[in-house]
Amino acid sequence: MLEVKNLTRRFGDRTVLHDVSFSVPVGGMTGFVGANGAGKTTTMRIIMGVLKAHAGEVFFNGSPITAESRARFGYMPEERGLYPKQQVLDQLQYLGQLHGMSRLDARAEALNLLDRFGIAERTKDKLESLSLGNQQRVQVAASLMHHPTALILDEPFSGLDPLAVDSMTKLLAERAATGVPILFSSHQLDLIDQLCDHLVVLAEGKIVAAGSADELRARATSTHVLITPPDAGWLREEPGVSVLDVAGPRAVIEFADEATGQSVLRSAIARGAVTEFAPQRPSLAAIYREVIR
Amino acid sequence: MSTSTAESTDPATADTRTPAWQIVTLREITVKLRDKSFIVSTLITLALIIASIVVTGLLAERTTESSVAVVNNGRAQILVDAANQLAKEQEQKIILTVRPFDSGEVAAEALRAKSVDLVLMGTASGYDLTGLNDVPAEIEKLLSDAASTQALKLNAEKLGVTVASLEDGSAINTIFLEGSQERNSMALVMGLVFSMLFYMSALIFGMPIANSVVEEKQNRVVEILATAIPIRQLLAGKILGNMALAMGQLCLFVGIGLLALSLTPTEVPFLSLVFATSGWFLAFFMTGFLILAAVYAALGSMAARVEDLQQSTGPVIILLVAALFTGVYAKGSVLVIASYIPVISSVAMPIRLLASDVPLWEPIVSLLIAVAAAWAMVLLGERIYRRAIMQTGGALSWRKALKLED
Repeated sequence: MLEVKNLTRRFGDRTVLHDVSFSVPVGGMTGFVGANGAGKTTTMRIIMGVLKAHAGEVFFNGSPITAESRARFGYMPEERGLYPKQQVLDQLQYLGQLHGMSRLDARAEALNLLDRFGIAERTKDKLESLSLGNQQRVQVAASLMHHPTALILDEPFSGLDPLAVDSMTKLLAERAATGVPILFSSHQLDLIDQLCDHLVVLAEGKIVAAGSADELRARATSTHVLITPPDAGWLREEPGVSVLDVAGPRAVIEFADEATGQSVLRSAIARGAVTEFAPQRPSLAAIYREVIR
Repeated sequence: MSTSTAESTDPATADTRTPAWQIVTLREITVKLRDKSFIVSTLITLALIIASIVVTGLLAERTTESSVAVVNNGRAQILVDAANQLAKEQEQKIILTVRPFDSGEVAAEALRAKSVDLVLMGTASGYDLTGLNDVPAEIEKLLSDAASTQALKLNAEKLGVTVASLEDGSAINTIFLEGSQERNSMALVMGLVFSMLFYMSALIFGMPIANSVVEEKQNRVVEILATAIPIRQLLAGKILGNMALAMGQLCLFVGIGLLALSLTPTEVPFLSLVFATSGWFLAFFMTGFLILAAVYAALGSMAARVEDLQQSTGPVIILLVAALFTGVYAKGSVLVIASYIPVISSVAMPIRLLASDVPLWEPIVSLLIAVAAAWAMVLLGERIYRRAIMQTGGALSWRKALKLED
């Protein structure tokens, strides 16, 4: 498990991270969201040791992180960076070797990853001759080369087509399943919703929400849809119910507590028909919008 | 330093695997060796070195043959024979062939038609030597030397004295306090060669260090590299790789040059001195290059874009040009002082060694000074590099770079 505790970082007079704490558990993917400039990249750079924190610490498996443990992490920086004029296979092999792999192992793993991303035929090409999407795949492959013990990926999905996103998420899920904590940032909320087991929401350098997706959904105010023909207008008069929207028989409502929900359902059945009564599962995107507000 | 407690733990040497700096060094070298323009320029330079040595050798060996039209047969004919004799004695590669003519007009026509090179005619006061539009200086000197020797001999006989008694007291003996004529001209040529080699190599292999540092900074590869290996090893590998390339190329140039020199048929004076000084030059080059490499690495890390380097590397180029000019122009005490200033000493000390007999302690002390300066510069360069390389935003000045926090 990767833990971030009380990180604070200033740039000049501007404090960009205020006492940021969260954890990235093993066995799942943790989405890191926040508006531009919220401090996601700064946090990731501090985790990777590229930047120093003015206060706070990063822990890996319970002890303060060392350069040695960081060296086994996989990292994909915000601004994509590999050698544009070098062959794809050569530079993956070089990075693998720097991570302590033998020449041959590094070469084999590079070929394996490129094959999985469907760009096996471009191994001898210079990186700059690849499309942006394919360069992105090489970049992800670079972070996975040495079978990292944790993955810190800054916007790994930006610029990828849906098929590439699929093949990458499949690969990441496999790695996550082997007990590798994965932290990735993204602006694509639908993707976060689909992929994340955990979510960390950052706003103006402060954590505004963090936890497993289920916890966050449970914590979010739950709304229900009730369809009770011919007209749902009477719900406005019910105590403990706030009506968000009514249109003919269909109402979107919020209850003060679970018991109110059950009594409302009973009175609806007493008044006539109930064709639908369902809790609306809030999307993580909705949670994000709510906490950010 | 709150997020890491074991920065000194070195993941790359923790076990028996290849140290990271070696991997980086090897990459620097292989990338350069696969660069076609580098290979081609090296081969062209090699060809130029060999060609210039061979051509110089051939020129020295070549015998110039000139045909001389001789009018008024007797005296001129004898003078040409005497000149040929003199040329042989002085080991000059000049042969004059005689073409007898009956009159000056016919000989002049032959000269215009370029069927003869010169016309020699006896006159009352001596001789007329006519060329079309040029009389080669060495032939003119040879003929006039031969003529005066001849005249001296004849006149001495007339007076009943010996030539030696007439020449008594006229001999000028040339003495050089430092070196000799031949040694000084050799030192001049070799000094020029060393200066050019130093200037070229420092540019060809120094600038790429700055370029590759700023390239890695600009496209953020360095963030990935820095998390994989200690940044110090990245810098060490980069400098060592380029230094190995520079030394390799230099050894190739100097080695092939010396080989070609020793194979030329003409006897090359001071060949063993040139050999010994080349060894010193390589040692001085290594330390000078190390200083420049550290400066280039620091400049690369301070720049934000490759374009920034054009401005910031200006002073380094000036230093290189200073070294170059020292090699060509410096004399006397200026040269002695220059031979102790690191970087410039890489050129100045070898030149002193070539030109005169310098006591052994001088190059040793100068080399030690250069090594100390290189050590200090590498430490400073590493400090700036380590801090500036992770900075995003604009280019940094030296002052800002030194003030950066880790």
